[in-house]
Amino acid sequence: MTRLQSANDLESLKKEILAKKDPNKLCVTICSQTGCQAVLSEEVFRAFSEQIDRNGLRGKVDLRRTGCHGFCGRGPIVTVFPQNICYLGVKPDDVAEIISTTLVKNKVVSRLLYDAGDGRKIAQEDEIPFYKYQSRFVFANNRVIDAKNIDDYIAVGGYRALATVLSEMMPEQVIDEVKKASLRGRGGAGFPTGIKWETARNASGKIKYVIVNAEEGDPGAFMDRILLEGNPHGVLEGLIIGAYAIGAHQGFVYVRQEYPLAVENLMVALKQARKDGLLGRNILGSGFDFDVEVHCGAGAFVEGESSALMTSIEGRVGEPRPKYIRTAVSGIWERPSNLNNVKTWATVPFIINNGAGWFTSIGTSGSKGTMLFSLAGKVKNTGLIEVPMGMTLREIVFNIGGGTIDDKRLKAVQTGGPLGGVLPERLLDTPVDFDELSRLGSMMGSSGMIVMDEDNCMVNIARYFLSFLIDESCGKCVPCREGVFRMLEILNRICTGTGKLDDIKLLEEISGMVSGFSLCGLGAAAPNSVLSTLKYFRDEYEAHIEEKRCPAGVCKGALIS
Amino acid sequence: MPKRKTKTAFIGIKLTAQEAALLTKLQDGLNSTTKTQVLLKGLDLMDKVYLSTSVSSNVALTEKEEMSSPIATNLELARLEYEARQYSIRVQQAKSKTKEVMRQVAQELSKTDEIVDKHKGDKSKLIQVLLELQRENKWLSEESLKWVSQKLDVPLTQIYHMATFYKIFSLVPKGRHSIMVCTGTSCEVRGTSHLLDRVIKTLKIRPGETSSDMRFSLGTVKCLGCCALGPVMVIDGKYYSRPSVKEIEQITATLD
Repeated sequence: MTRLQSANDLESLKKEILAKKDPNKLCVTICSQTGCQAVLSEEVFRAFSEQIDRNGLRGKVDLRRTGCHGFCGRGPIVTVFPQNICYLGVKPDDVAEIISTTLVKNKVVSRLLYDAGDGRKIAQEDEIPFYKYQSRFVFANNRVIDAKNIDDYIAVGGYRALATVLSEMMPEQVIDEVKKASLRGRGGAGFPTGIKWETARNASGKIKYVIVNAEEGDPGAFMDRILLEGNPHGVLEGLIIGAYAIGAHQGFVYVRQEYPLAVENLMVALKQARKDGLLGRNILGSGFDFDVEVHCGAGAFVEGESSALMTSIEGRVGEPRPKYIRTAVSGIWERPSNLNNVKTWATVPFIINNGAGWFTSIGTSGSKGTMLFSLAGKVKNTGLIEVPMGMTLREIVFNIGGGTIDDKRLKAVQTGGPLGGVLPERLLDTPVDFDELSRLGSMMGSSGMIVMDEDNCMVNIARYFLSFLIDESCGKCVPCREGVFRMLEILNRICTGTGKLDDIKLLEEISGMVSGFSLCGLGAAAPNSVLSTLKYFRDEYEAHIEEKRCPAGVCKGALIS
Repeated sequence: MPKRKTKTAFIGIKLTAQEAALLTKLQDGLNSTTKTQVLLKGLDLMDKVYLSTSVSSNVALTEKEEMSSPIATNLELARLEYEARQYSIRVQQAKSKTKEVMRQVAQELSKTDEIVDKHKGDKSKLIQVLLELQRENKWLSEESLKWVSQKLDVPLTQIYHMATFYKIFSLVPKGRHSIMVCTGTSCEVRGTSHLLDRVIKTLKIRPGETSSDMRFSLGTVKCLGCCALGPVMVIDGKYYSRPSVKEIEQITATLD
C-alpha cells in the first residue's frame, strides 16, 4: 500500500475496505485481551480455528480476535455476526456446539446466553443489563475491531477526524472546538484540556512535545490498558490531532511495562500508521510532520504525576518537581510538553467528528461527556463501563453492576483509587462527576470504582491504601514520606487493638499537614482514604479503639471479631 | 580498517597506557572486536600460566625438601606433601569455578553490550536498558550495572538510584518460576490476604523471597487488571483464580 496523500485517499481506502467486507457473512469474534486471556480465550480461538477447518467452513466463516467488550466477569466473550449473538463464559469444549448449532443450523445455544434470572435468556449484547444502561462512544469500537489491523479502524471511520482537522481546520480552531466541548482531563484531576493545549501552543519555544499518560499504576483500574490494547489507533488519532493543534512534532506514549500486550499492540499500530502515511513526514499530504516514541515505565505509581513522568522520559528517576511553572510551558528538557491521559486523547476524535455541541449535550453542567470506569470489588458484574457523567452510583452499582456478590449489604463504594475516598451507602444517589466527588471527599482520580460490602472493614481499607502509598511515595518531600508513614503506624496500632483514644485526633492533624505541604498530588491526596473513612465510618474507628472490636471481623490481632 | 580507539578502561578497571596499548594489540591480534572475546581469550591464557606455575612450584617444593631431609622429618614431609596436594586440588577447583563464573559474567556482559548498543548509547534510555536487562537475566547484577555505568557514562550511584526506585528491578537473582499474588484493591476486598497466606504456607517463602533451591520466587503485584477473577495468582504468566491450598500444591509440584 502506498502512503495516503489526502483526506480523499483515506475515504477511498475506507470504501475499498468496506467493499471487501460482506455484511451478511458469518463472522465469529473472540475477545482476546488480558482479562479474557486469563480465562483461556486463546484456547477458545484455537478450538474455533481447528474446528472451522474440520467442518469445511473455512472461507465461509471469518474468525477474528477483538478488543475487550468490558464484561470481564463473564469472559471469554464470543460474538457471532451477522445475527449478533453474544455467548458468555465460553470454554474450548463449547466450541463444537456453537459451530454445529449456530454456524451450521443458524440456531442459538441458549445455555451460553446471558441469563436474566427470570427465565429469560438474552442473545443481543445491547439488551444485557450490563450494557443496556451504558453509553458507549470511546469504548464502542473495541468490540468490533482487531487492534492489530488498521483497516478495521479505518472501516469504522477511524482517522476521519484527523483528516478533517488537517484539511479543514487551523490549529486554533481545533483548540477552540475542544474548549467549547469543555473537555476535562480524564486522568482524574479534571483540568480543562483546551486550556492546557492553548497554554502549550502559546508557550515560547520551537520544539514542543505531546505525551500520552498510560502509567496506570492504580490498583483496580484498567481502562487505559483496555483502550491501548483494544484500540490503539483511537488514542493515536487523538494524539496526532492534539500535536497539530499545539504545534508539536514529537510525541511520547508512556506505558507501564506491566502491560505487555498494550505495548505490543501499540507498536504494531505505530508501524501501520507510518506505513499508511498517518504518521511521519507530511501526514495525509498536509505538510504536517509528527512521530511517536514509546517509553516503558518500570513500575512506580508516582510516575503518573506529569512532572515525574517527564523526568523519567528524560532518563532520570521519576520524582516530581514543584510545578510553579506548568509542564505545558516547561516539561521534557524544559520544553513545552502537553500531557494527557489515554482516555482524554481517545475522546478527542469523537469531539471533532460529532462537534462540541454533541459532546456538551451529554453529562452534567461542570463535567461533559462520558466517563470510563472499571467496576470491581464485591460486585456481580465486574468489568469496564462507559456512562454519561452524572449517572448516580446506585445506577452504576445496581443496574450495570447487578448489585453485590451474594446480595450482601453494600457498605461503601471507593472511587479514585488510593488517592480517592470512600462514599457510604447513603450517598449512593450522588451523581458521579468531577466536582461532586471532590465535594464529598473523594475524587474521580483514576476512575476505578471498588464496591465494598458489610464484610469489609473501613479502617483496614484505609490502612491498605496508606501501606500502598508509603510503598509508592518517592520520598523526596518530608510531609509525604514521614507523614504517611506515621499515619500508617497509627492505623496499624488501631487495627491490632492497641489504638489510643486520641489517635483519631492525631490522624486528622497529620492529615492536614500531609495534604497541605506535600510537593505533588500524591501527598496532597494521600490522606483522603483516612479522612473519608473517618468522616463516614467514625464508629468503626471508635469500635476498634474503645471496644477493641472489629465490626466487620477483618482485623486480626488483639481484637474481638 | 578504521584505527581502533585506545581504551582507557576495561570491565570497569582503569588501564595504564602500557596496558591499554596491550589491549588494543590483543584485540587486533585476535581479529575480534568484542570485549567478551578478549576476556575469554585472557582467561584461557591465565589458565595456562596458572597451570604451569602450580606444577613447577610443586616440583620445587619436593626437591627442596628432599635435599635437606633427615629421616626424622619424613612424617612432617608427608604431611606437607599431603597439604600441598590438597591445596593444589582446591586451587584447581576454585579456578575452574572462577572460570565458569567468569564465563557467565562475560556472557551477561556481552548481552548487556548488545542492549546498550541497541539504544545507541543514549543516556536518556537508561530505564529502557535496565528494563531489558532485567527481562533478560531476571535480575541486575553488580557487574552488569558497572558495565552499563561505564558504557553509558552515567555515575553508578545514579544507576543504583534508579534500580532501587522502581519495583520491577531486582538486585538479587530470582528463582526459575515467578509466582505473583495480586494485592490490588479489588483482590484485597475479596480477601487476597488469605490467598497469600495459603501460598506462603505451601511454598514456605515470603513475598520478595526466593526458595533456596532457586525454584520459586514469590512476589506481590498491585493489580493485574483481571479483577473479575480475584483474588488472583499468576505463575509464569498463567492466571489462577481463587486457588485452594491443594490446587497450589498441585500446580507447584509440576514445576521443576
